[in-house]
Amino acid sequence: MSCQVRGAPRRALPLLLLLPSMLLLAALVIYPTLFTVRNAFYYWNLQTSPRPLMFVGWENFRYVLSSTPFFPALRNTLVIATAGTVVELLLGLGVALLLLTHLPGTRLLRTLLIMPVAVAPIVVGFLFRYMYYEQGGLIPWFLTLLRLPVPPEGLLGSARTALPSVLLADVWQWTPFFALVLYTGLLGISQELVDAARVDGARGGQLVWHIYLPMVWPSAAIVCMIRFMQLFNLFDLVLVLTRGGPGTATYTLAYLLYQEGLVNYNIGTASAMTLIIVALVLLLLNIYARYAFRRWEW
Amino acid sequence: MVMRYVVLYALLGLCALFFLGPIAWFAALALRPQETAFSTPPVFLFRPQLDAFRYTFLDPGTNAPQLRNSLVVSLGATLANLPFALPAAYALSRFALRGKRSIMLWYMSLIVAPPVVYLIPYFIFMTRLHLRGTYLSMILLMLTITVPISVWLLRSFIDEVPVELEEAARVDGAGTWAVWRYVTLPLCAPGLVVTSMFAFVFAWNNAVFPLVLSTQETATLPIGTLAYFATAGVTWNYIAAAAVAAMLPPMLIFLALGRYLVRGLTFGALKG
Repeated sequence: MSCQVRGAPRRALPLLLLLPSMLLLAALVIYPTLFTVRNAFYYWNLQTSPRPLMFVGWENFRYVLSSTPFFPALRNTLVIATAGTVVELLLGLGVALLLLTHLPGTRLLRTLLIMPVAVAPIVVGFLFRYMYYEQGGLIPWFLTLLRLPVPPEGLLGSARTALPSVLLADVWQWTPFFALVLYTGLLGISQELVDAARVDGARGGQLVWHIYLPMVWPSAAIVCMIRFMQLFNLFDLVLVLTRGGPGTATYTLAYLLYQEGLVNYNIGTASAMTLIIVALVLLLLNIYARYAFRRWEW
Repeated sequence: MVMRYVVLYALLGLCALFFLGPIAWFAALALRPQETAFSTPPVFLFRPQLDAFRYTFLDPGTNAPQLRNSLVVSLGATLANLPFALPAAYALSRFALRGKRSIMLWYMSLIVAPPVVYLIPYFIFMTRLHLRGTYLSMILLMLTITVPISVWLLRSFIDEVPVELEEAARVDGAGTWAVWRYVTLPLCAPGLVVTSMFAFVFAWNNAVFPLVLSTQETATLPIGTLAYFATAGVTWNYIAAAAVAAMLPPMLIFLALGRYLVRGLTFGALKG
């Protein structure tokens, strides 16, 4: 829907309008990029020297891959991003279908349901750290009530339960987001289509699988993409809940990078790690953009 | 048939309990007597008191300056982002541009980039410039998120202003500036307000940049709350009181946003 404008100055107008934001962002991004690319090849610990010490070639990359918990962190990150997106999508679909019954009270619930999304992720960390507390926390108490086993070192302290526990906090926060998006999408499905499927004998799960899910998939795909990328960057929850522990059980790439750069002050190796992570993010974004925005009108 | 309703309402109740319970439980922590914070079994009934809020925000008011810091940084990141985002959104909405898809995806890549990757270079850069701990350093870094989000979101609003109205005004002799000022801007004003509200929430809830760039004097509310964990004998009532104050503004904004929530949370990718 472009305007009918003629002449060179008019053609320059859109570029002029884009320029301020692109220049600002480029300026903000270019500095860290140059800094990171350069320092990825230098030995530099900020505690011992204010400047890079010496050129070490690819040594930092070798160090990141062999002497830091990079691969456990990568594995955790992929598990969190995949499991989180899938669980939130499915639970969200369930909640959306529940809201779609339009029983008295669902309107109020729909309004209030979005509240977890408004909470800062770091504050969600506070909430769940309190509820996971070994002695007197609400969740261990509830599990004991159901006669379910609770590890003596606490849900966040046991290597087996720590990662799912961190994930639960994220699922709690973001399932309502999926529910709201899917509910809005489901509203748009014509009742005739549903009735027709019913006449053809579709019931419950079949209806969901063959009618509801395909109809909302274009919007669900975009939300899945956004959520997957946000989960890939998961940092705040790990910082408050587990600090990566026990051992390396809950290290994510973002937390490992923070640890390496801003706790251990190994700027060189952190820069190498940054380059690897950014390459992964760009790769994922390209795959996703191609798929999720396939039918998008630019 | 009755059975169906029982099951549905049980599920709805479970839903409400699961998603709203934790918030209520934390708000209760801010209001309950300190000694009941970790009782087993949990104490559900108690006489609410405002001691924790008094301590955190009035006397000695440990977190009161942090509330102000949060406001300054979030408002700064919101107001500073509009002059950059608005023209770009207009250009992306109204002109046939070569490479528009790449430009939009470039903004999207900034939205989903891990914030931690900016942190290390800027930690060193801002320290060298003696800017670490200033509001400016935090606001600048927040712009890396708020500007691209606002571009995407505002574009979706400007897309909805009928281009025919602009053409009609142009036929009547209005210049580019007049069309923009008297036709497009008033019509996309609600979108501008919604976008600003989202930018504010995203900046308010961002804890990664202040975590590293703020000092004790300029710490935002979540970072100030984090400091309680460093003290011996974590005082959970105070953490809860500060956290409730940090939760309220975004919650109220989300309640006010209503039908724009889907659009804002997907950065305008879905109209909702």
